[in-house]
Amino acid sequence: MPNLDRRSFVKVMGLTGVGAALGACSSGSTAGSTSGASAASTGKLSGTATLTTWGADTEIATFKKIAAAFKAERGADVKIEVLPYDQIRTVVDRRLQANQAPDLFRVSYTDVKGYADSGVLADISEYLDPSFGDAFLPALWDAMGTDGKPAGVPHHTDTSALAYNKKHFAAAGITEVPSTLETAWTWEEFTEVLEKLKAADLGAAPFAYNYQLFGAYRWYNTLYQAGGSLLDDSLANVTLDTPEARKALEFTKSLYTKKLHAPSVLVKRPTYPDEIFPTQKISMIQTGDFLIPSLQSAIGKKFDWGVTYLMRDSAAATDLGGNGVVVTEQAKNKDVAAEFAKFLVTKENMALFCEENTVLPVRTDLVDAELKYAVRPDLMPVFQKQATTMPAALVRVSTVPAFPGINQALVDNMDQYLSNPSASTDSVISGLTASIEKALKA
Amino acid sequence: MATVQTAPGAARVQRQPPGNRKRVRSAGARAERWAGLVLATPALLVFVVFMFVPLVLTLWYSLHKYRGFGTMEFIGAENYAEIVRDDTFWKALLNTALYTAVSVPLGIVLGLGGALLLNRAMPGRGLFRALFYVPVVISGVASGVIFLRLFDPLIGLINQLLDTVGLPTVDWQGSGSAALATIIIVTTWQGVGFGMVIYLAGLQGIPRELYEAAAVDGATGWKRFINVTWPLLGPTTFFLVVYSIILSFQVFDVVYVMTRGGPGTSTTFLVQYAYDQGFNQRRQGYAAAIGVIIYVIVLLFTVAQWRLSKRRDEA
Repeated sequence: MPNLDRRSFVKVMGLTGVGAALGACSSGSTAGSTSGASAASTGKLSGTATLTTWGADTEIATFKKIAAAFKAERGADVKIEVLPYDQIRTVVDRRLQANQAPDLFRVSYTDVKGYADSGVLADISEYLDPSFGDAFLPALWDAMGTDGKPAGVPHHTDTSALAYNKKHFAAAGITEVPSTLETAWTWEEFTEVLEKLKAADLGAAPFAYNYQLFGAYRWYNTLYQAGGSLLDDSLANVTLDTPEARKALEFTKSLYTKKLHAPSVLVKRPTYPDEIFPTQKISMIQTGDFLIPSLQSAIGKKFDWGVTYLMRDSAAATDLGGNGVVVTEQAKNKDVAAEFAKFLVTKENMALFCEENTVLPVRTDLVDAELKYAVRPDLMPVFQKQATTMPAALVRVSTVPAFPGINQALVDNMDQYLSNPSASTDSVISGLTASIEKALKA
Repeated sequence: MATVQTAPGAARVQRQPPGNRKRVRSAGARAERWAGLVLATPALLVFVVFMFVPLVLTLWYSLHKYRGFGTMEFIGAENYAEIVRDDTFWKALLNTALYTAVSVPLGIVLGLGGALLLNRAMPGRGLFRALFYVPVVISGVASGVIFLRLFDPLIGLINQLLDTVGLPTVDWQGSGSAALATIIIVTTWQGVGFGMVIYLAGLQGIPRELYEAAAVDGATGWKRFINVTWPLLGPTTFFLVVYSIILSFQVFDVVYVMTRGGPGTSTTFLVQYAYDQGFNQRRQGYAAAIGVIIYVIVLLFTVAQWRLSKRRDEA
């Protein structure tokens, strides 16, 4: 991957874009500085801490490997507790309510501020060098706390691109896919490709989005591709009643009405396109890089598949994915918890996690590194380049404290809009606006 | 002359002076009361810890704005006022009522049919009874996961079978009415075994002599059912109807696994809506207020059942 692209990613993630907007929260050090995060603590620790996480088998194996290395180096045990992804938020919330929170837990960037604002996360500043945060992409470091008080560490990021079935494409006479960001399909070209897949009568739906349930916010991709936005710069007002947002909504719906999108793959449905793609019942899906290992494992040698860039309209855009690890205020062993969080994101350990789990690093000193991805390394450059199209405004609206309510507003309103052929764009705009305003005030 | 034999203990009591007798009787009553209390304690503890305390807490939370952690803000009846204005709540109530109106009679009819069938002497009767009852003991989540796969419009077995025999496939979870139908099918499948077992007990309580008398009078099978079986199953049917209505207002697990209330709000029922508000939107106070309303509805049905049962018993 050319260096320029990786540097662009850094810029998009904050050094010039988001960083300008969130500059007040940043420590202001120069890009690429790793001084803080590389100055690892070395003193011996005692006791045990628990990290509650979800994850694929490979992710859990890596967490355990890093915990074993931590034990060898620092002497303290870190127990890795695994919960299903769909349940982790509910379980962690209930444990916080019952004063039985884990010492650390894995959390999406989109959820951190909601927890931090409620005062349930620890301020781990005392465990960090003043320049520690400079080692990370500023937007993601900022997402890890509020009022300049970090509650944890950014661990990795991921994003979406298009995965496609090469056999279906060949059968539909589609011989080429975009090989650069600049030549990514426009919405019109993308629709033509789907029409060809439909006309080929392959016994498969041409396409499916990955905006189900907690991932409903991935519809931001379409919104920002159209040049629209969800909130204004103050992050206090909804900006969906615009021609751009209307265009994004109507484009999304048109894929259903033209039967170019799998009809049953909606927003509320707890079955995900990546579970259907390996059965060859969908020819192309929007999917995240973190799913490459499970997709490859399910597809095996059944068919060839590749990835290409997301479609674009007036702009290219992709979503903010990825997770951090936070320390709770109720942690029984805050020392071990904070030190393990730091250990998890040393240069070596972050590289290890990214390589074994096909996700993108968030340390600036790894953005240019040549990582040896364990599964389908040939696909990762597309995701790495696609990540450079993550709009600063999209990152900001993805990390507001009201995010859970906003995401649920998208789940309810978009599902209604896309499943009901007679639902009007006006009604979904007013429904979304009212629900998001309610979430912002809650 | 007749002699009255008394037990040795009783004779001893009779020989006690009157004052002592009273003391012993009251000591016995006290011991009995203590024994009763001790025996009832586990059930009382379970009731207090798992029913009464949560009920009071739910009422308390419903008067607050609360995310489930962090601070609580007292807002009086504001959550209830919002519920009155909340279109989705009314849609969820309507959906729940519609679901109840379809699933309760369906469950009753199928349960009765199964019981009548398996009340006869037939080979493998025990096995069939067990098979009917198996879905009752399978968890709702497991059933939901199984049927989610079966009804999957793209890769599900049911659409593949329809396709194989040349019938049009159904978008089971993309269309509101089809999604509601899947929920009714699965929950009926789950509950029919329970209805069947209760009806079997009711059928076996009907004296054989009544059927023999009806046969002597020349009643055919249908007439015997209408004039003997059905009236005598009245209390059983009444219990099942009220019990099923109460359960249908609490349906959740299958909906949560299969549709999450979608598409749109087509299968959003009251408990699913309360769950969404409480756990996905972190509006625990609002969810608690919905919970209180569900409690009141179920309480009304329970009181109605209790009163009507009492009246029937007294008649």
